[in-house]
Order: sequence, then structure tokens, then C-alpha cells
Amino acid sequence: MKTKARINRFNVIDRLFHLSLMITFLLQTATGFSRLYIGTVWGRKVNSVVGGYEGSLQLHKWVGVAMILGFVLHSVYLLTRIKWRTPLKSILGEDSLIPNFKDLKHFGQQVRWIFGLGPPPRFDRWTYWEKFDYWAVYWGLPLLAATGLMLMYPLATSRLLPGWSLNIAALLHEAEAILAVTYIFIVHFFIGHLRPSSFPMNEAMFAGSIPLEAAAEEKPAWVARLRSERRVPEEGPAAPGRWYRVAYFVFGYAALSCGVYFLINGLLYARHISLH
Amino acid sequence: MARSPVILRIFAMLASVMTAGALILWPLPAGSDEVASAIRRYKSQEVSTGYYEEFEVLPRRNRPFVEVTGVQGGIIEYSPSAAKVRSRTHLADSHAGLDFYEFKTCQSCHPEQAEDLHTQRANLTCRQCHGGEPIASIQHYNSPMNPIRKHAYVCAKCHEGANASFGGYIVHAPAPGSDAARKNFPLLYATYWFMTLLLVGTLAFFIPHSFLTGLRELFAREKEVENEDESTH
Repeated sequence: MKTKARINRFNVIDRLFHLSLMITFLLQTATGFSRLYIGTVWGRKVNSVVGGYEGSLQLHKWVGVAMILGFVLHSVYLLTRIKWRTPLKSILGEDSLIPNFKDLKHFGQQVRWIFGLGPPPRFDRWTYWEKFDYWAVYWGLPLLAATGLMLMYPLATSRLLPGWSLNIAALLHEAEAILAVTYIFIVHFFIGHLRPSSFPMNEAMFAGSIPLEAAAEEKPAWVARLRSERRVPEEGPAAPGRWYRVAYFVFGYAALSCGVYFLINGLLYARHISLH
Repeated sequence: MARSPVILRIFAMLASVMTAGALILWPLPAGSDEVASAIRRYKSQEVSTGYYEEFEVLPRRNRPFVEVTGVQGGIIEYSPSAAKVRSRTHLADSHAGLDFYEFKTCQSCHPEQAEDLHTQRANLTCRQCHGGEPIASIQHYNSPMNPIRKHAYVCAKCHEGANASFGGYIVHAPAPGSDAARKNFPLLYATYWFMTLLLVGTLAFFIPHSFLTGLRELFAREKEVENEDESTH
């Protein structure tokens, strides 16, 4: 029997954080990597679109500051998500993104399932790769922010640290950016779009809710837990409207194409960068 | 007791003061200030640590008959440590004695030095920082590149307010993963390899993981479709 019941996965604030991260991340990729590749034909072309050599740096700095503000806001928001009456249970429980031993167990089960040696793991609210996605941003963003601020204010930095720390900061900023971009544009995009269970697009992050059936299939332990707590409503939230769906499909695929465009050209032109 | 004349007393006082002064100020015998290293000791003349780096003092004159590797030939060789100090990084004319120097460009001998941000991105020429001929060695006491004044004489031309620490930025940093970096800039080398390992490790884990998960889901779905077909027939 098919029902139309849906279940909430991300609230409006979660989705707005993800949306603003998408936009700022792509802007930083465009401005940052076009400057890194400025010595190549492709880099110069992209750079002229995002403001030229000086203009793109200004944009990169302002978007960077916006990202830092977003990070601070998100951290405050995180604190409000903790149920302070039962802090330990809330932080270490199943609704939390903190990794625990169950994730390790799930990983083992997942490997066995991939090779046909056992049943698939019964995931709760977050799979271990979703947790990794989250914490990858959470440690990458402060690193990029700190090194970015160092490079933005080199004179102030050299008053506190030796001048050669700027060499290290520049290298760290570049390397972490490459790590973030390759991870997002390969792994995160594959999981969100190409994986059979999410193809053509995992809508949870835009619609906010997913069909209860899909949730029960992907995260059986989560739905079972909600059912046992009688927290699954009969109908649940409404399905996203048609035009809203069209909008986020277009937006999602535009972002996807941007990412793939940067990834492919970045790989193709990597050997023409004249810096060392 | 006969009182000595005033003039004699004054003379005696002056004589004792001068003798004491002479004893205090008398230079030490030459042998007691023997120095065998490149570090000059000024302990006998100044109230300070008495240790000076080469770039803080006037350069010693060139000694004839003394061989300096790559600079001048001679009969007597410097000790290895002294030869290091007399190397091209400490000369008034860092290119002294090079054959056909006038016909060379900077990059024909220093290609590596043209791969940094200042050259590649800010489009600076070598001479905008290193100056005209003769180009003094970066450690020569009179060179604008000398670390004691580089920030004011060179960096601050563009970076207004540059301080000595800011001048410590390594403009011609070695390629971060290279052997040169391992020797001269170990922290840069370590950072590079740590981040490279992190990148390779993350992708080497997550690309196969995601791909195999996707593949497995595809097979699981096919099986479901087969089961559904069987149940409808």
C-alpha cells in the first residue's frame, strides 16, 4: 500500500544554511580557482567573469567574511539545537551528528553488504558519510577562514607571528580549498545526484521533507524509533509545490554543472599552473 | 713635618689619577683577544653581548692569496666554516668574477626564482627588489636586501608599514614538496605532505566507497523490480 505521508528531514533554517553555503562555496571556487589558474587561458576567461584579477580578490574577501559570519551563526544555532535538560543524551544521542561507535559498526555492515555478505545496515537519522560531510565542512571552514584572514591582513599577522607563517598560511589555504572542492564536486555530488537511490536528485535538502516510505527504506532505525515514540504524524508536512520543485531542480543542476565544469577544467589545466 | 708645596700635591694627585686611568684603559695584549671564527667579538670595547652577525659589521677586506670557492682563486684556503661566510650571499657584488656576466639574464642562472607570486602574479622584475648593478649579496651589510633593513628598503615600497617580521616572508620559497623545502623550510614541506596525504586518503576512501555503494544499490533495485514482476504475474 502506498501512502503520501511525508516526514521532516531539514527545517527552514537548515535549508537556508545549506543554500547560502552552496552559493558562497561556488563563488569562492570561481574567484579563488580562477586566480590560481590565472596563468592559463581558461583561468583568465573565468576570472574576467568574476571581476578580474583585483576585483575577484575583493569578491573573494567579502564572500569569505560572509562565510565566517555564517559559520558563527551556525555555531550559535547548533547550541540552540541541544536539549539542555538532557545535554549528554542530546549531544551523544541518535539525533546528534557526533560520530559514535554505531557508525563504525554501520561501516562494517555497509562493506559486508556491498560485497553481498550481509544485510544492509539499519541507519538511524544520520549515516556515517552524512556525518563526515558535515564535519568536513565544520573543520575545513575555520581552517580556510583563519588562513584567509592571515593572508587578508598580512601586516597584522606578521606582528603576531613570524613572516614565514604567511607562506604556510597560503599553502594551507590552497591545499584545503583543493581538498574541499574535489570532495564536494566528486563525492558529495555523486551521493546527492548520481547514486541510484537519489538519482536524479536527493530532494531532502530543498523540499525539507521526504516520503515516509523512502525514509523507512533509507533510515529504518530512525523511522522505527520515531514510530515507537509516536512522533510520526498521519500526513506530515505537505509535498513541495510543482514550481518550487522546478526551481530547485534547475538551481541544483546549475550548481552541479558549475561544480563539474570547475572540476574537469581544473584537472585539465592543473599542469599549466606556473607557480610552484 | 714640613708641608709640601701645593704644586707638588696637585702633581701627585694628577699622577695617581692618570696612572689609574692608564691601567684601566691600557689595551689588552693582542694574544688575549684571539678570534678564530667569523663571529666578531667586541667584548673588550663595548658593553653588550659582544657577539655580532656578519651583516652587522663592516665587511673584512678581501685578502689576497686566499681562495674563496667560486669567487677568487688563491694559495691559502679558508676553513669550511669561514668559506661559508665568504660565500656569494655576503659579498658587496654578489656576481663578482662570473664569466660573461654581462651577457646573461637573471633567469638563465636562477630559473627557480621566477616561479613565485611576486614574479608570476605581481609582475615584478628582479631589479625592482634586488636593485641595479652591482647587485649586493642579500646578507651584505650595505645591501638593501639585508634582513636588518629589507622590510623598510624593499618590502615597504609596496607593502606600506612592513615590519622586520613581515620581511621574514620567504619570497622565493622552494617548491613545497621538494627536497630543497625539506632542507630549508621543513614546516612548509611537512604541511605540503600532510595536506597531500589527507587529500589522497580522503578521496581514496570515499570515491570507491560511494561508487561501490551506488553500484550495490543498483543491483538491489534490479532484484526488487524482478520480485515485483514475479508477484504481479
